[in-house]
Amino acid sequence: MQPIHLRVTGQQILKIENLSVRRSGKTVIKDINLNINRGEFVGVVGPNGSGKSTLLLAIVGALKLNSGSIRIYGHPPLSGQLMGRIGWVSQAASHLPKHVRISVRELVSLGTLSPKTAFCLTDQERVRKAIQMVDLEDVQDVDVSRLSGGQRQRAVIARALASESEFILLDEPLVGIDRDSRNSLLKLLDNLCHEENKTILMVSHDLTAIRQTAHRMVFLEETIRFDGPTDQFPDLDVLAELRGIDPSSSCIEVDSMEE
Amino acid sequence: MGLGVILMELLTPFFELFLPIIPGDVFPYFFGETVRGYPVLSLQRALIAAIAMAIVAGYLGNFLLLQNLALIGDGLAHVSFGAVAIAWVILGASEQPLPYTLAITSICAILIHELQYRGILTGDASIAIFMTGMLGLGLVILRIGKVPLLDFEDYLFGDIYTITEWQLDFIVLALLFSMIILVLIRPALLAMIIDPVSARVQGIPTRAIGLVFSVISAVVIVSMVKIIGALLVTALLVTPAATAQLISRSFKSCLLWTHFFGLISVLVGLFLSAEMGTGGGSMIAVVAATIFAITAIAKTSVGAYSKFKHGHN
Repeated sequence: MQPIHLRVTGQQILKIENLSVRRSGKTVIKDINLNINRGEFVGVVGPNGSGKSTLLLAIVGALKLNSGSIRIYGHPPLSGQLMGRIGWVSQAASHLPKHVRISVRELVSLGTLSPKTAFCLTDQERVRKAIQMVDLEDVQDVDVSRLSGGQRQRAVIARALASESEFILLDEPLVGIDRDSRNSLLKLLDNLCHEENKTILMVSHDLTAIRQTAHRMVFLEETIRFDGPTDQFPDLDVLAELRGIDPSSSCIEVDSMEE
Repeated sequence: MGLGVILMELLTPFFELFLPIIPGDVFPYFFGETVRGYPVLSLQRALIAAIAMAIVAGYLGNFLLLQNLALIGDGLAHVSFGAVAIAWVILGASEQPLPYTLAITSICAILIHELQYRGILTGDASIAIFMTGMLGLGLVILRIGKVPLLDFEDYLFGDIYTITEWQLDFIVLALLFSMIILVLIRPALLAMIIDPVSARVQGIPTRAIGLVFSVISAVVIVSMVKIIGALLVTALLVTPAATAQLISRSFKSCLLWTHFFGLISVLVGLFLSAEMGTGGGSMIAVVAATIFAITAIAKTSVGAYSKFKHGHN
């Protein structure tokens, strides 16, 4: 297990206080508090519809909050000071519509757009480095739609890296990719955290994957039912008890049964 | 002397180089062939306007297709027909209705964008409403103002051969302006189309760029209406870009192929229409669609052949 507490010493990056979010009239997130410090790798797990993606969308400022506050580096979401500091790896970006023809390099270079450069593509060096970091140099001129699921996900991560963001949010990056790609993707994220000193918040319903890589786990189901070091994450039956349901009615989908 | 005329004077010596290889009885006049020592300026103007249009419309068309907005070209063209009627009858600008048309069409484009952006209407519904509403309004106004529809035929089907100096200047200026803005916002627009949330997180002002794009669409379409006709605008806006999408593998190559197909459509269309005495806009539309059909059939056959070969190996 990772010596998690040693790493959690950095500056506070994310501070969420009493956050509630309603979507189409239904409360999806209720009164949650969450702090994340620099260098942490936090995995958010929970069943389908438990508010995981909603939480990320609220953090990046794509949703209206009903109550509570979100501060990233002390600023509210979408404020000018945050531009280029947050990398967003969404489900949408890895499922590009088929008619969108764009090469890996073109996609990654979009990550370098910022208000500072008046939205011009300038920094080719950063693009090259980002592609190198995710190990996609061989296919950099290939149309993104021709890549495998794992490669596509890497391309989208490279786009976030090209913006040199310090705080990377990933929404279900492991969906639709095979086992080998999944493992190398997890290794990549682990490297980003340990060697590039990125802070990572990843949402997934793949419990095993999160257990393998995250320092800290959050179990979300409308509210936060567990938040602590990965090695203290409860067994499934204890979890069921936390959630107040019968342990025999299975709860979290565990997609990958390996290890 | 405006921008269009300057451009024409700059390009004429270049076009004249091609004169020996230009086929046909009428087509050489487009490239500067003279009649008893006098060049046929209106035909030269037509060529310049058509080339400028093909380049800018193709560029814009690529972004429209990426956003599944192929219909907006048609929609705004119909809106512009209503706008010409308003400018002509109500504002009394029967000589130069284009500036008013541009203003009215831009306002409608912004309203269509806002209806979609705010989620009041989804998909093409707002385009459909504006398209039919403004077309209807245009027809009603023409009838009330007792303007015969015949005077308006140019705006419906286009008339490339009677383009005046003033119109050429207006068209070239509008297209150049649109092209500069499109090139500037291109990366941000692409980022927005691929993933709007990522774009906003990066600090791209998605709403402002969406509005600018709407206005630019209106400008390009209004400048095309007089030449190619409201009913045929989509031929240059969407068809070359759609053909390019069939065969290209990156955004950049798609743009290049679009320009290639657009220019071929315009040149072949003008040649055929001049030699056969048909309307310019309609022939360009026919040629563009034919190129699409040939490319689609060729692509399908190549795909089927390689599959067949693969199956036998």
